[in-house]
Amino acid sequence: MRKLRFSDATRTKQGPKAPWLAIAGGALMIVSGLLSWSYDDRILGDLSIRFFPAGIQIYSMLFGVIAVILGVLLLRRPPWLSPARGLRILGITALVFLVWVLGSIAYQSDGLINLNEGGWVALVGALLITVGGTLSPDVEINVLTWPRLSSTLEILIIVVLMAVLLFTVAYTLDIQDGVIFASFLVALIGLTGGLLGTGFGGYLGFLAANNRRPLLLAAFVVAFLFPFTQDGSDANMSIATQILIFAATALGLNIVVGLAGLLDLGYIAFLGTGAYVGAMLSNSAFATVGWKPPFVVVMLVGAATAATFGLIIGSPTLRVSGDYLAIVTLGFGEIFRLTMLNLDGTNGPRLTNGPNGIPAIPDLNFFGFDFGDVHTVAGIPLGRFSNYYFLLLLLLMFVMLVFVRLNDSRIGRGWVAIREDERAAEAMGVNVFGLKLLAFSVGAFLAGLAGTIKAHQDTSVTPEQYVFLESAFLLSAVVLGGMGTVMGVLVGATILKLLPEKLREVNDYRLLVFGLLLVVMMRFRPEGLVPSKRRQLEFHEDDTELVELVQAEHLQESK
Amino acid sequence: MDQFAQQLVNGLTLGSLYALIAVGYTVVYGIVQLINFAHGEIFMIGAFGALSTWLLFFEGETALWVLPFMILGAVAASVTTAVLMERIAYRPLRHAPRLAPLITAIGISVFLQEFIRLFYGRIPFADFPDAKQRVPFPQIDVVTGPAFQVGGVTIQRSALFTIGSLLMCAAGLWFFVNRTKTGRGMQAVSQDPDTARLMGINVNRIIVVAFAVGATLAAIAGVAQGLQVTNINFRMGFLAGLKAFTAAVLGGIGNVWGAVVGGLTLGIVEAMAVQFIPGTFGGSPWKDVWAFVLLILVLVFRPQGILGAKVVDRA
Repeated sequence: MRKLRFSDATRTKQGPKAPWLAIAGGALMIVSGLLSWSYDDRILGDLSIRFFPAGIQIYSMLFGVIAVILGVLLLRRPPWLSPARGLRILGITALVFLVWVLGSIAYQSDGLINLNEGGWVALVGALLITVGGTLSPDVEINVLTWPRLSSTLEILIIVVLMAVLLFTVAYTLDIQDGVIFASFLVALIGLTGGLLGTGFGGYLGFLAANNRRPLLLAAFVVAFLFPFTQDGSDANMSIATQILIFAATALGLNIVVGLAGLLDLGYIAFLGTGAYVGAMLSNSAFATVGWKPPFVVVMLVGAATAATFGLIIGSPTLRVSGDYLAIVTLGFGEIFRLTMLNLDGTNGPRLTNGPNGIPAIPDLNFFGFDFGDVHTVAGIPLGRFSNYYFLLLLLLMFVMLVFVRLNDSRIGRGWVAIREDERAAEAMGVNVFGLKLLAFSVGAFLAGLAGTIKAHQDTSVTPEQYVFLESAFLLSAVVLGGMGTVMGVLVGATILKLLPEKLREVNDYRLLVFGLLLVVMMRFRPEGLVPSKRRQLEFHEDDTELVELVQAEHLQESK
Repeated sequence: MDQFAQQLVNGLTLGSLYALIAVGYTVVYGIVQLINFAHGEIFMIGAFGALSTWLLFFEGETALWVLPFMILGAVAASVTTAVLMERIAYRPLRHAPRLAPLITAIGISVFLQEFIRLFYGRIPFADFPDAKQRVPFPQIDVVTGPAFQVGGVTIQRSALFTIGSLLMCAAGLWFFVNRTKTGRGMQAVSQDPDTARLMGINVNRIIVVAFAVGATLAAIAGVAQGLQVTNINFRMGFLAGLKAFTAAVLGGIGNVWGAVVGGLTLGIVEAMAVQFIPGTFGGSPWKDVWAFVLLILVLVFRPQGILGAKVVDRA
């Protein structure tokens, strides 16, 4: 736990009045929800009616409610909570939220003059919360002073939180308007940040560490229940399946890049290999290979082919410097794309139909369970994408399992050693070449596996799906989320796939932003949003606090 | 025989282009051991810089005296981009793990491509065409126009311009590296940066100079490419950059003359592959594949390249 400190003496002096500022601010934000925000009832889901809060007004009220609660807590000064920190986070995000919302209203209705009183009241409220939070003293907290609950109660907390998570995800995906979606995301970050920032987050981390298995189980139950919240609609499920494929592939890439430290810039080619194998061995009328084995065999063939390519590309280049590997994999990606374009019957044997690709790939069929049909479970219809969602979830679980088990094994330790200092590792008897090759081929294998499913889910395979930019895109998911962690990649993949889908207005700027993102992340936070502690240390070697933390963690692990 | 000579000319033209770009990779690599993946984009920006100069000041003019100004515009655009890139993105990462600058380079590459695609047509006060599609490149008298016929061999005027540029640049580069103080400083830094620093060489300045030298040659290559293909687009840097890197590795990365030799070799191999590989795997659809296969083969059998640079063995 990082210690929370008193920032300066003035804060303590002015302390007593500050909570009332925050409470007043919270009250203003609650009231603002009941007022009108704009004259125009066509903007952002009608914010013009008084005493009838719509989406954005409700978010504002939620900010207020939490601010009031934290303010009251601040008055009572409990020794195990630091509401001031939460209030600061809450206040600042509320300001961001309001600037964004009010700006959007002004933009859409031509000018600030079109704002009604509600928006201004909320803005004053947010300012008061921020000031109140800034003037209040922080409390040094220690999660161990939190009341200990019985293990049943702890698990109950986890279950409730997971249910809240499921509800939030379903609600988030239901928002259609891009501006409202963005404002909800800001509100969500503010509200959770405000709550967790009080020290509650540290407690939850403590809780999670104590109940790893129930947490994991609950997370997967939530993931499995998600399609049931969609009421048979395939719109969000289609996005969800894309996220799952993307996450599974990025996680495979994370084994190569994050664990073994090998930069693979042609990783998409392995996904493509799997997809093409899946398509060629499918029942599509355009499939070019006569052999039609069951899908399990197809998956294995696809994955094995990809792994073989991985070995062929990896073995010559792994002996030389890592930079060469990056460029050779990039070259391999191009060879793959060009070859798929050329094997059309005129420039080479007819295998892939060239630029037309292999269309009309039929849906999967497991023992009579047709993935294309709508199945009704417990009265809730589950469409085509839901079926693939379940299959892909299993795939993701498998990839996660491989990732975690490898990382915790002797092999994983070997990768860390290679990543940090190849020569030293070799001198210590680590089989550098073998382990690198293993990382490379395991990564390729997993991508091939995902590819075979992707072929059926997309129903067609063309060379344009497997260009270099997709590889860069996968890499940015890994870099953004955090190299070498599972959570990081899941977060990164979700952000990179979900945001462009929901924010259609900025879709054209997607790649520009990603390019910038890679540069900025490498400059300011090279370890990613959700880093592993050890990885973080590699990038910030002179951070002594972090060194102590990692050492303590290692000590605990070895006990 | 005519066919062979024709492909040799084609190969030399292509190879000169690769060589001009490859020098940029190799100079930077020799000094900071960084694969400047965004160098292909510097080449692309050079071409757009030349086009912008023409559109702003000489629109409609096709006389030969315009060409030097276009080249100046191209060099200005490329060098500015390269120096900014070094200053903003690479320099802070100089002591970071090896993966970091490489990922940054990819980010810059994607960013520059998208920047040109999205914003080239929207620069205020300049009536530039939209760069989302191909943009026609001005054709200049003397260096473009009817081709020469020598025996049975067709030689395009733009091909002569490209090969000529390489010769002039190579001569200039030789003079710069061997006969100027800065050039000798570059040699010293590439041999041993720490000792060079002790000898009073400003290493940061030398690194900037290396980026600028590479960008200058890439800009000239951009102009040559524009004259040859008659249009340019925001994606042209990707494949050209990749090929040029292959050329640099082929010749021996870190070795300036290796980049020239490697570029010419790669160009000739590609041209010959189009003509002389029999069966369905020959022909132009496969030439890029053969180029990359060559890269992999070189790395397997002779990772130090044809001229054998200092053997790079760093993880």
